[in-house]
Amino acid sequence: MKKYNISLTLLFLLLWGFSWAQETTKAVEKRESAVQLSFYKKADQTKTARVKVTAKNEHNKYMPVANAHVNVYALNNKAEELIGSGVTPVDGQVVIDLPKTLPLDADLKFTLIAKLENDLAFEDAKDQGSFREANLTVIVNPADTTRTVTVKATQTDKDGKEKPIANATINFYVQRFFGTMPAAEDKSATTDETGTGTFTLPRDIKGDTAGNIVIVAKIEDNDTYGNIDSKVAAPMGIQLAVDKNPFPRALWEPRAPAPLVITISIIFTCIWCIYFTLFYTIIKMSRDKNPPTPTGKPPYGLAYEEWVKE
Amino acid sequence: MIDSETQELDQEIETLREDCLRPTRHWSAVTIIWVIFLMLVAAWGFGVYIYQLRNGLGVTAMRNYVSWGLYISTFVFFIGISHSGTLVSAILRITKQEWRRPITRSAELLTFVSLCFGGIMPIIDLGRPDRILNLVMFGRIQSPLIWDIICILTYFTGSTVFLFLPMIPDLALCRDRLTDTKSLFGKFKKWLYTTMAMGWHGSAQQWHTLEKCMKVMTIIIIPIAVSVHTVVSYIFAMTLRAGWDSTVFGPYFVAGALYSGSAGVILGMAAFRKFYHLEKYITPRHFNLMGQIVLALTLIYAYLNLNEYWIPAYKMASTEGALLGDLFWGPYSRVFWTLQFGTVLLPIVVMATPIGRRILPLSITCIVIVIGAWIKRYIIVVPTLLHPFMPIQEVPADWATYFPNWVEWSVTMACLAGIFLVITLFAKMFPMMAVWEVAEGMELNHDKKIAYAQRKKREEALLETEKVVIG
Repeated sequence: MKKYNISLTLLFLLLWGFSWAQETTKAVEKRESAVQLSFYKKADQTKTARVKVTAKNEHNKYMPVANAHVNVYALNNKAEELIGSGVTPVDGQVVIDLPKTLPLDADLKFTLIAKLENDLAFEDAKDQGSFREANLTVIVNPADTTRTVTVKATQTDKDGKEKPIANATINFYVQRFFGTMPAAEDKSATTDETGTGTFTLPRDIKGDTAGNIVIVAKIEDNDTYGNIDSKVAAPMGIQLAVDKNPFPRALWEPRAPAPLVITISIIFTCIWCIYFTLFYTIIKMSRDKNPPTPTGKPPYGLAYEEWVKE
Repeated sequence: MIDSETQELDQEIETLREDCLRPTRHWSAVTIIWVIFLMLVAAWGFGVYIYQLRNGLGVTAMRNYVSWGLYISTFVFFIGISHSGTLVSAILRITKQEWRRPITRSAELLTFVSLCFGGIMPIIDLGRPDRILNLVMFGRIQSPLIWDIICILTYFTGSTVFLFLPMIPDLALCRDRLTDTKSLFGKFKKWLYTTMAMGWHGSAQQWHTLEKCMKVMTIIIIPIAVSVHTVVSYIFAMTLRAGWDSTVFGPYFVAGALYSGSAGVILGMAAFRKFYHLEKYITPRHFNLMGQIVLALTLIYAYLNLNEYWIPAYKMASTEGALLGDLFWGPYSRVFWTLQFGTVLLPIVVMATPIGRRILPLSITCIVIVIGAWIKRYIIVVPTLLHPFMPIQEVPADWATYFPNWVEWSVTMACLAGIFLVITLFAKMFPMMAVWEVAEGMELNHDKKIAYAQRKKREEALLETEKVVIG
């Protein structure tokens, strides 16, 4: 009997231990994740790395994840050097500023590594890319009736000289308030041996009141150069005619229409005047010194007179 | 004979005064437990609100698309409930309905309290409530939000005066008959009654002034009440959103408010009748008559409801069509049809029969109506916000759906508890019936009885004389 009891106890402990172990495993179970790295060089020569983090959800689909801590390293003589880090917002993409100079290898390329590591919720993941630094220069002549936009793509060689980049695809955009708009349906141009590409700017692009537009040339998702862009402002757009009265006869137009203001003012002034008259009457009533009615009830003639009339 | 009847009447009025003052003199254990419970709920909600204030609206389930969730639905619901009290009371006063006398106070109180809490709901909905001052400082008079604030403030002031005016003689009665004047609470009550009674001693001049002020307020409060809910509807109807872009929204909101608010008044009547033992004054006849009013209002509401959905459904324009699809056979269809059949059509059937207008079935029907009205506001606000003109895409999945989370429920329930708490405390401080008005009604009835008896006597005498002459 005693033996039987010990066996039962052991079995119970085993089951408890097994279930506890299962729970513990479940608690530390991490989601499978992926990291995607892109390199950007802006017109003002600033460099950034955009890192997108996704993880598998319950339907086995990779979805953007928030609050994932990402580190970006640069490869320096085979050693990884931390150059920036950030936490992903709700769209899962974090932009990390990079130093102006990055360690170059023998091919004049720099290697970036983005890592999601030691995260409690996600499995480790990394992405890396080697890029070569390039420059774009946009040249426009507002007086040119052919409206040609010329762009020159160059890269620095070992001697420190600018060398043209041939066969690079360059896309042209126009800067708008919330982003860039493709300048035309076919927005691309390819550079020749001299690194020069040309593009004809359409005539129907709206500019500001002076007709100024900002033309943006971009090398996008290039395996060697990443994402490079360059901008130039030129008076090559249609002058924007600002409508002085964009909402005629609308009640919500910027300046309140007089009839609306007058109507609201009259209505509420009348109501509040009545209120204040009532307050005054009540205060006056509180100072009344006449003796109470003999019965202590409302005097004959208030509710009664109505009834008598009926 | 007349003297004895007058004495009897005086005795009845005295009983009435004591019946109304009794609840203000004693706090039963049940009341104390109820008040503590309400205070705990309110305190919990207040704590959660502080948490929301510190951490921002991100702690709620509201996101970019649904930025008006449970809070704004509740705001519209509370403003709707506030409608009825004053309007029912004012309309019954203006049409000189004698049976109104015992129920006007509870109706007016319901208005006052629901306006207090309805008014704070939009502030709770703001992530930065301190910015409410910007509306005053930089508000544009052409914005419906400003109209809403002006109208609600005007209505709140009017409703407070409308509640306070007929209370003055009763406050003087409380002051004069206060039994406990030695305890701290007793001293506080003495001070409160004396201050609020404003030197009332019942002179003929004071009665005349009071009657005059009440007449003015009764007339003015009706258009103000109608304007308030119309303007609340403008906040929605003056946008181009599917489901809100409607010209019928003003009357639709007013009818909805009256329908739910009158049901709220019946619930108040039933509760005070039961807990404060006012069965003698609030009789089944009152419920029958109020039931008929709610029935008429439900029919009007049902008609406007049909207009609201039938006309866009006939056209099925693209964006309206998508919204209506969700309501008619999509994710909201179960709630939508339950509301239409359960809280509109079923109450009509129940209240159309005299049995359905008895106290218990009518009270149950009114509970259904009030809950239904609350959910209806949610159905008006949320599905439209989830149907913007631009498709919802490339956003986190939880932005495309909405259901209030624990933060919103806690704060909203705290506001509801606040309403019950203020009503309970009010009922423990002041008479829940307009004592002098009910007494006046008794006197009128008494005079009518005497006049009827005298007339009958005169007719009998004439008949006797005729018989003698013929004979």
